[in-house]
Amino acid sequence: MKKLLVIVLAIGATLLGVALTDRPLPRADLTVLEIADFNTLDPQRMSYLQDFRLAYGIYEGLVRWDNDTFEIDPAIALSWDISDDALVYTFHMTDDARWSNGARVTASDIAYAWQRAMMPDTAADYANLFFAIDGALDYFEFRQNQLDEYSARPASERTSANALSLRNEANERFKEMVGVTVVDDLTLVVRLARPTAYFLDLVAFPPFYPVHRDTVERYVTVDASSGAIRQDHQWTKPGRIVCNGPYIPVHWKFKREMRLARNPQYRDPTLAKSDTITIVPIEEENTAVIAYKTGVVDWHSDVVTDYVPDMLDQKQRGEREDIHVFQAFGTYFWNFNCTPRLSDGRPNPLRDARVRRALALCVNKQAIVDKVKRTGEQVASVLIPPGSIPGYESPAGLGMDVPEAKRLFQEAGWEDRDGNGVPENALGEEFPVIEILMTKLAYHKDVALAVDQMWKSTLGVRSKVVIRETKVYRDNLKRQDYMIARGGWYGDYGDPLTFLDLHRTGDGNNDRGYSNAAYDTLLERADDERDTAKRLVILSEAERMSVEEEFPILPFWHYNYVYMYKPPTDAQGNPNPGGLRGITTHPRLVQYLFELELVKQGDSQ
Amino acid sequence: MTRFVLKRLAQLPLILLVIYTVTFVLAWALPGSAVINDEGRQPPAAVLEAMEAQYDLDDPVAFYFGYLSRVSGAQWVISKFDEDAAAPRYVFDFGPSFRYEDWTVNELLASTLPVSVTLGFGAILIATIVGVASGVIGAVRPNSLLDHATLAVALIGISLPSFVTGTVLLMVFPVLLGIGRVGTWGSAGDFVLPAVTLSLPFAAYIARLTRLGMIDVLHSDYVRTARAKGLPARQVLMKHALKNAFLPVLSYLGPATAFAMTGSFVVEMVFNVPGVGQHFVNAVQNKDLFVIMGVTLVFAGMLVVFNLVVDVLYSWVDPRIEAT
Repeated sequence: MKKLLVIVLAIGATLLGVALTDRPLPRADLTVLEIADFNTLDPQRMSYLQDFRLAYGIYEGLVRWDNDTFEIDPAIALSWDISDDALVYTFHMTDDARWSNGARVTASDIAYAWQRAMMPDTAADYANLFFAIDGALDYFEFRQNQLDEYSARPASERTSANALSLRNEANERFKEMVGVTVVDDLTLVVRLARPTAYFLDLVAFPPFYPVHRDTVERYVTVDASSGAIRQDHQWTKPGRIVCNGPYIPVHWKFKREMRLARNPQYRDPTLAKSDTITIVPIEEENTAVIAYKTGVVDWHSDVVTDYVPDMLDQKQRGEREDIHVFQAFGTYFWNFNCTPRLSDGRPNPLRDARVRRALALCVNKQAIVDKVKRTGEQVASVLIPPGSIPGYESPAGLGMDVPEAKRLFQEAGWEDRDGNGVPENALGEEFPVIEILMTKLAYHKDVALAVDQMWKSTLGVRSKVVIRETKVYRDNLKRQDYMIARGGWYGDYGDPLTFLDLHRTGDGNNDRGYSNAAYDTLLERADDERDTAKRLVILSEAERMSVEEEFPILPFWHYNYVYMYKPPTDAQGNPNPGGLRGITTHPRLVQYLFELELVKQGDSQ
Repeated sequence: MTRFVLKRLAQLPLILLVIYTVTFVLAWALPGSAVINDEGRQPPAAVLEAMEAQYDLDDPVAFYFGYLSRVSGAQWVISKFDEDAAAPRYVFDFGPSFRYEDWTVNELLASTLPVSVTLGFGAILIATIVGVASGVIGAVRPNSLLDHATLAVALIGISLPSFVTGTVLLMVFPVLLGIGRVGTWGSAGDFVLPAVTLSLPFAAYIARLTRLGMIDVLHSDYVRTARAKGLPARQVLMKHALKNAFLPVLSYLGPATAFAMTGSFVVEMVFNVPGVGQHFVNAVQNKDLFVIMGVTLVFAGMLVVFNLVVDVLYSWVDPRIEAT
């Protein structure tokens, strides 16, 4: 018995030891909840919302969006000149921008970061945004060929020294080929491939932010066997990371917390409102709400529990004030497979735009939003959320029109010829059962079941829901191995193209296999159009074509984000201690961490 | 004894190689691509191809042997002699994570494994204390009200899934009573609720094992002798009876501890515990190959060592059992 006691005591002492050495930090001024941990702190590699939100706080680009109006404000660049042909941008940078180690932020830092993004070695998700710059696409392809040729050499020639000289050659070629010129430490000249009305909007986007060259290079190696540059992301860890934004990460434990503190080198100490910010990742949706309710976090940035509708009802009745719904810069839609044949070789009835339009016309979106989704979304009849891009006039889109849908369906050759309720074509073949590809989230299936009823009762079209793991779903989408699949899209920059490129023939994100020469021509015309207003009219026409005639997608609603936080003022407009100040409601929903702060006791308005 | 331990340790690499091979085949067969984003933007096709080539994702044979050489430390040794060979970051390099790009699998394990091990051990400790105590109480007065009550609680403990007990505990303690927190991890208090949740099924099973064992032993001759010679009831119970009744519990504790350390995915989700259980599920969903293999290998290694420790402990507690 004593021996057993020894074992038990030994285990107990170990546990106590672990618990005592692992002390939590004191509470930060502001605690933010994200629903996933950060994927990377490397701005050129980022593509997830939580990563971008962090990047706005710890890095700074040449320019910055005003997140209420989406006008372009100066940041590192105090001013910029645009040439008359709209092709050359000259950025004049401030001389008091500093890295967190005290070094000056220079034009070569920007050029270095942009070169990284343009090299296939970096595997940047947003590499193609840089192709707006003159020579960038050619440079990407040059480097690709260079690496392919190197890999084909005999093994004896693939040495560290040769790989290094390959890289040096690529660095030299960057200066010759790409329209990014470092004139002096504080002047950067950028030459575009063609006039790009939204170029400044892109420059405010994290993949365009600078990184500290020496810090990144310390962890870069050149792989002797492939010649490629291998990025090691160890430089992003607190203690090593050097950044130029109002905050620096001082503590990061995986799936526990990210702690930010003021960057003492940042030139404007008044920009950041809170001294310290902690970001806690909580994946489980119910646990996240409980963390908010028990005061562990001050702002829950993405509430998705299935009792959100009930909480919204409580708000309606005036029983709670801490839940907030804001329209976001994105749209939930279904993808139609637009290719001529299905993956099993059968002809695809959905390749006919009339069939797609007929199916779209039979969907009562309002009923789905009100009765199925129930979280206050705005019904979508277009792809781009109306009002989110200044100066852009959205097309009207189509509402519900069952008689017109029946007419179109008949015109496309589908009618119920044998009276069994299911339409057939002229050859007597029944309209196939439409498979609707979904992932696990509960509401996807509910929406599909509702639409199934609507199609069955109007056109006689039968459908069934197929639920797949996300990886399988993504794979099927990529190979067009589906009939209809759920989809959705969030815009990245303030231009209609961030959405409309989806339907361009051969675009990397065109999961529908959609190809329409007239649509492509419209986008090309817009690319060449120099007059901003006229360009937006052309783009609006392209969107009209896709949502009133062609329907490669069927839009349902514009996405919402549901936040939980205590409002900064009470019903009478007085400051509300503990409330969160600084949240923007502009549909692009870019929240700057440095603008957020909790209302303190005794604060005035 | 020493020979026994050495023999078992010598088997370890072989066992790991078999597990590595099986895991590799299963992970490779997962549908979808490891480097693609599931939602949102897709990088240019050339970028994806370059990434697949970088990690040998286009060549299963190269991947199998390349990873084997990095994981086993062979690559590290080679890089010491050949300056053109890529030098791995660690001696035993489990590779990068595709999903969490700034972390290596070694770092992920170093940060999450201690949490799960602490939680697992803690849960087993609670389960043993609660389980043995209620088992003894039940055995002393079989079929009494107290006995039925503990049995009923044990039944509930075994039947209820952890996401129910976990959520109920969350609603009662932090939400209603304001005791404890959720969502952060570090102080001793954060550890109690998840450990209790995790311990319930084990406690229930241990209670039943102890109760059965005790009832058996209490009817045996030597216990009757002990009572007949006038020993106090407490001493008979704790010193003579429990010692023998505990042996089945001890042999259950080996696999139970291993299970408590791995099987805490649900508990980790409900209490937002940054443990290793999440990787077992998420890595497979993300097809995060290096995480899948790294986590499996480390755990397999731990289990082998762990079973060995239990075997050694067993023979130490009960000298009649020889470790051979």
